[in-house]
Amino acid sequence: MANIVIRYGFLALLAGLIIFFAVAAPGFASPQSAVFIFQSVAITGILALGVTATLVVGGFDLSIGSVATSAMMAAAYAMVVMEQSAFVAVLFCLAIGAIVGLINGIIIVYMRVPDLLATLGMMFLLVGLQRIPTEGRSIAAGMTLPDGSTATGTFSEAFLSLGRHRFDFFLPNLVPVSVVVLLVLAVLIWFFLEFTRFGRMMYAVGSNEKAAELAGAPVKAYKIWAYVISGIFASIGGILLAARLGRGDIASGNNLLLDAVAAALIGFAVLGAAKPNAFGTAIGALFVGVLLQGLTMMNAPYYTQDFVKGAVLVVALVFTFALSSRTK
Amino acid sequence: MSITRRTLGRLTLAAASLLALPALAQDRPAPFDKPENVRIALVRYLSTGDFFQAYLSGVESQAKALGVDLRVFDSRQDAALQADMVDQAIALGVDGIIIQHGLTESMKEAAQRAVDAGIKVVAFDVNVENDKIPQIEQSDRDLARLALEQAIKDNGESWKAAYVYVAGIAPLDRRDETWKEFKAKYSGIQEVAQFGTLDNPIANSVANQARSVLTANPGIQVVFAPYDEFAKGVKIAVDEAGLSSDIKIYSADVSTADISAMREPGSSWAATAATNPAVVGQVSVRALAMMLAGEDPGRSVIVPPTLITQADLNDNDIKNMEDLSAKMPQFRHADVAMPAWMPNPNE
Repeated sequence: MANIVIRYGFLALLAGLIIFFAVAAPGFASPQSAVFIFQSVAITGILALGVTATLVVGGFDLSIGSVATSAMMAAAYAMVVMEQSAFVAVLFCLAIGAIVGLINGIIIVYMRVPDLLATLGMMFLLVGLQRIPTEGRSIAAGMTLPDGSTATGTFSEAFLSLGRHRFDFFLPNLVPVSVVVLLVLAVLIWFFLEFTRFGRMMYAVGSNEKAAELAGAPVKAYKIWAYVISGIFASIGGILLAARLGRGDIASGNNLLLDAVAAALIGFAVLGAAKPNAFGTAIGALFVGVLLQGLTMMNAPYYTQDFVKGAVLVVALVFTFALSSRTK
Repeated sequence: MSITRRTLGRLTLAAASLLALPALAQDRPAPFDKPENVRIALVRYLSTGDFFQAYLSGVESQAKALGVDLRVFDSRQDAALQADMVDQAIALGVDGIIIQHGLTESMKEAAQRAVDAGIKVVAFDVNVENDKIPQIEQSDRDLARLALEQAIKDNGESWKAAYVYVAGIAPLDRRDETWKEFKAKYSGIQEVAQFGTLDNPIANSVANQARSVLTANPGIQVVFAPYDEFAKGVKIAVDEAGLSSDIKIYSADVSTADISAMREPGSSWAATAATNPAVVGQVSVRALAMMLAGEDPGRSVIVPPTLITQADLNDNDIKNMEDLSAKMPQFRHADVAMPAWMPNPNE
């Protein structure tokens, strides 16, 4: 019995929640509503999948939020100031994510700086760095540059369509690009972590680094790869953010970080995994999305939403740590 | 706060052209007949973001127009440090201090010490509870009133509204008072939903909320979002829901990005009311200069806001903040704290 509760408790809770909102909130039970719940969690969900990779190798990445906002600024800068195409802007962002992840990994693995501290430092560094090129201003088409001239570039249509285009799916214009990206990345990282040798080795590194090393695994490389994955995922999140907003906003990304970490931690509880896993992370992100959109539809003020988010996280962690260790 | 930027280059050019006429300085009252001997300090609590950047550029341009020596102290949201910086400015022997934001509790005594040391002080957006210190304010109530009057003008006196608000933020609370007054005055205004969040990026978080609200409450005609980040988020949600032609958004504050969002074809963002932060910076310096010259700027110096409608932007082909200043003179310059001898940095 306890086993069933641990395995399926969280999924049952999610189902219950959906039924509750479908009854209590008018308009909740519709395909459009389902899609925009996915859309509302797409960006944090992608970040959460990235951070899951670092959790798997027993690490942590606090810099994902600022990587995402830096990528957003970089995309805007590339197009508005440097007048590059959407393709260049996207490559530029992905490169930033990969480089930041690589630096994080090298600092953690070779300089032996604890993961939390290294990525905390990187977070501050990026929050400052993203403001240097524009002297602290947000980036929008037609903005005034620090030297007094006016930027002539614009967000290209192709780039904006990443945030605005919708695919037909049963209904016309239903599924936004960000949701498709989320689903594709979720399946990819899930398959990668669960079914490839590389992914299984990452779990081995996370559960016992010494043993993995003695078994001959290149532990350092696996760890660095985890941070590179996390950096790239965060920069994808940033690209989608820039495409949705249509400008580069200076932002610390702390809320993105916290929401993403919450989703990944809630994921521990799904199916009683008690460890980081991609499926759980995706469900965790969805859970938070369903709760927040449902509460908003019922006119609940923002502070109750933070409260509920926190409560869910605590319950999920109790599921993970107390219940699953008791049955062992 | 509004996201606003302003060319320093343009302003300094204007200021430089004024300085090129040294005869003017002779006509000014003491101590501005020898402005190079006048030193003023700007002690800041908040500095990150476009609003504060633009405020600083306004302070700098007016200081330059007067020819005075400006020192900028930036406490970066450290309340204790900000108080120390006032003491530092006193020790430096400055003639005047502008306190920009801060906490009443930490700044009250520091401001009093400056006044006791014979220094003239003005405060922007922080109440230091001192009769000798004039308050510079951008009128949040007027901002909200202008936007809502336009909403009434466009939509009549009876509509279904959604309202974006986060309590506990002083300017939003002041704007909220006006919203409540309007609801009381016009019984036809029916607020069906209230939401809002300051999770950053704010526009993205508000867009997520607004999507839910629009789905749950069909028939909303007007969204009052008295902060431009809120309005930007609501506009994204309205576009995504395909309701651009059914809903009108009224907001406060303005930026280059806002201007392009308002000008998109079929944009639901109908109007915004805004004060130019650079002008607020200029007014702060001017009020201080009046005090130094022995004149009285008044207990509170209010910088009036400007209503900016979609039609204004389209008719004048305004693309960014510079165009806005150039084509809407009431936005570029406020005739506040402007005695005859005061140089206008915007000319």
